[in-house]
Amino acid sequence: MASFTPYTYFQCPCTDTLIASLPFGAEAPPPESENDEDERTFDPRAPRANYSLYPLEHLLYCEDCHQIRCPRCVLDEIVTWYCPNCLFEVPSSTVKSEGNRCTRSCFQCPICISPLSVSSVEAPPEGLGAEYTSQSGPYVLNCSFCNWSSKEIGIVLEKPNSVFQQLSKIRNKGQPAANAKEARKDSVARTLDISTQVIMEEGGDEDAEEVVLNPETQFANLKSFYLTQLAETSPTGALGFTGDYGYGSPGALSRIMGLYTGVSFSDKKSKSKTGTMREACDALEGFQASRPSSEKAISRLRKEGWHSTASAEQMAEQTHDAQFVSELWPVANMLRMKRSKRCKTCRHILSKPESKISTTKFRIRLVALNYIPSISIKPLQPPSSSNPAGLLTPLNPTQFVLTFKNPLFDGVKVSIATPASTPGRFSSRVTVLCPQFEVGANTDVWDEALREEGGRGGDREKRRTKAEASEGQHQAEAGKVWERGRNWVSVVVEVVPTSLRIEGPAFLRSEAQQKDDGPLREDEDVLEIPVFVRVEWETVAQDESAGLAAKEKEVKEKRELAYWCVLGIGRIAQT
Amino acid sequence: MSSSKRASTMPAAPKPPTSLSSTLVIADNAALTGTHLITLGSNTVVHPRTKLSSAFAPIKIGSSCIISERSAIGLQSAPAEDEKDGVVFENGVIVEVGAVVEAKRIGEGSVIEVNAKIGKGVVIGKHCKIGSMCEVADGEVIPDFTVIYSNGLRRIDASGIENLKLKMVGRQVDVLRKLIPTNLAKFQ
Ligand SMILES: [Zn+2]
Ligand SMILES: [Zn+2]
Ligand SMILES: [Zn+2]
Ligand SMILES: [Zn+2]
Repeated sequence: MASFTPYTYFQCPCTDTLIASLPFGAEAPPPESENDEDERTFDPRAPRANYSLYPLEHLLYCEDCHQIRCPRCVLDEIVTWYCPNCLFEVPSSTVKSEGNRCTRSCFQCPICISPLSVSSVEAPPEGLGAEYTSQSGPYVLNCSFCNWSSKEIGIVLEKPNSVFQQLSKIRNKGQPAANAKEARKDSVARTLDISTQVIMEEGGDEDAEEVVLNPETQFANLKSFYLTQLAETSPTGALGFTGDYGYGSPGALSRIMGLYTGVSFSDKKSKSKTGTMREACDALEGFQASRPSSEKAISRLRKEGWHSTASAEQMAEQTHDAQFVSELWPVANMLRMKRSKRCKTCRHILSKPESKISTTKFRIRLVALNYIPSISIKPLQPPSSSNPAGLLTPLNPTQFVLTFKNPLFDGVKVSIATPASTPGRFSSRVTVLCPQFEVGANTDVWDEALREEGGRGGDREKRRTKAEASEGQHQAEAGKVWERGRNWVSVVVEVVPTSLRIEGPAFLRSEAQQKDDGPLREDEDVLEIPVFVRVEWETVAQDESAGLAAKEKEVKEKRELAYWCVLGIGRIAQT
Repeated sequence: MSSSKRASTMPAAPKPPTSLSSTLVIADNAALTGTHLITLGSNTVVHPRTKLSSAFAPIKIGSSCIISERSAIGLQSAPAEDEKDGVVFENGVIVEVGAVVEAKRIGEGSVIEVNAKIGKGVVIGKHCKIGSMCEVADGEVIPDFTVIYSNGLRRIDASGIENLKLKMVGRQVDVLRKLIPTNLAKFQ
């Protein structure tokens, strides 16, 4: 079994105040009648806990609300779009009109997803002055990893740049790619236009059901169809936006949600106005009957075998249907974005990256790591050679050292509380030997060194080390801090792991075990301790309105932060 | 470091019988060991610290091959009855750094990439590519144009640019000829 690494997860307090993040118009949940928040013990195994526990590194901190912020209680804002391959910034207007793929020359291999490079089919020129002559086409896209070449599917390019345009031209057999912007301009006229083109392409085939649209045209048709549908069914959107603009508006979105879920998201007034929308029903409107595996495909499969079919992963990457490897096209690189994060409550920015693509720096980044004490776990006795995996022996008291490290420039008072026994079917007994202690400020490292020299502040430390030396073996004492440093404090927690076997008469079992005596579930053998941490400290008030006078007086302000943590201590041995 | 120094003070191990082309580029500290015949073709490049061992069976390498550093060519254990011919490379084969090749035959223009392992008795077709870290099990027969990549995925390369690639191998040899000082006499 792989060795177990102790972990600490923090619960963002936003899970307790759900009301704040409910959408407008939704009814407030019934008040919790059972027990008060203070009495409730957080259960890390509860299904809901999955969504509220984060490693400290994933959390942000709002300086205005003085609160931890997790991905659920921040708002994301897009700063820039860019292509991860060519690192070009893509303006948002282009993203809206052209989609979320790089429209330059960045493609990934349809077989193995590694980046494709453009190379000439011809051998490079040789002889005198060869380095001065430029390579000439035709060009192909090559994968250096799996040796795929666009030549395999018959794609040869005329020039080595703007591959995206060339490819879409090849795909649309000479027509320029359907531009969504144009399509929007006058959707009806364009739909008719495309349909006539398509019919002409098919050799004047009158049967509309036989028309096979290429994916871009189909998308354009579908989009324009639904845009007109939206415009017709709701002359004015729920929030007063009309047709075109309303497509992405909250009113239209909630109506679409309503259409599919049958639940009214918008208010009743607008619902009564909404007419019924119909679906696309012919190629003109972008409807394409899915082609069931035809005779042709089956005979091809017979001839070429399983290896000629595309894998599920390969098909998922494609923007259109592809059954066979030969139908796979190079995939344009997906754009990435830089995002800034705002506090959902006070709208202050918590994280803002530099907008320049090539820099990875942040302008603002308020990470929780700089505000709340980190907790690290270490067994007091090093794992013995007889038990290298460090498994916890059931019913054998084991001690762990919890080290709290303070990132703040002020000393903090920490109180920790744990339930006497861990929640769940297999509850172990937990005792924190020192539940209240103070952690020093995160001062300059040199301060401490200088103090040591003076021999004044370093007293405590020295005494401790002396005591250790005289006692020989250090014993964990109740109510005493185990070890202390400049900005960290270690305390000892003792656990008595429970047995993972459900045995004995039913009346001896715990309530949870009586209810459920099934076999051990995945990770149920991990001993997790919920810990309630309360951090208190005093800091200089940052109230700007107080002005100069306050600054001179250095008004101290009391701060308090309380949250649940989960300590993953170790696995209990299965006997 | 120290071990290699010590080895140099020892009396040199008996040289294996060789048949080397006059246009061969072979680095001074390439290691040719064994008792069977080692044949190296014309315009082939053997990088420094390459280990060719004919201890159990002969090695025959065609022309315009590139054998890179720290690669090991040749059988590492006694051959089975049908592997007595040893290791045979056709022309234009590239063996990259750290690859271990015990194959029976490697076809023209095939590339064995970094740290790949080719088992005993393997027959690799023409213009194949065995990706880095990929392994080919003992006795496998790999058809022409096979590409083995990622964690053993296979496909057939139908790009049809093998002639271009062979040409590029020739050019690579030309460049390496200028870079690697050859010491043919040492191995003859
Ligand atoms: Zn949160
Ligand atoms: Zn790009
Ligand atoms: Zn590829
Ligand atoms: Zn805030």
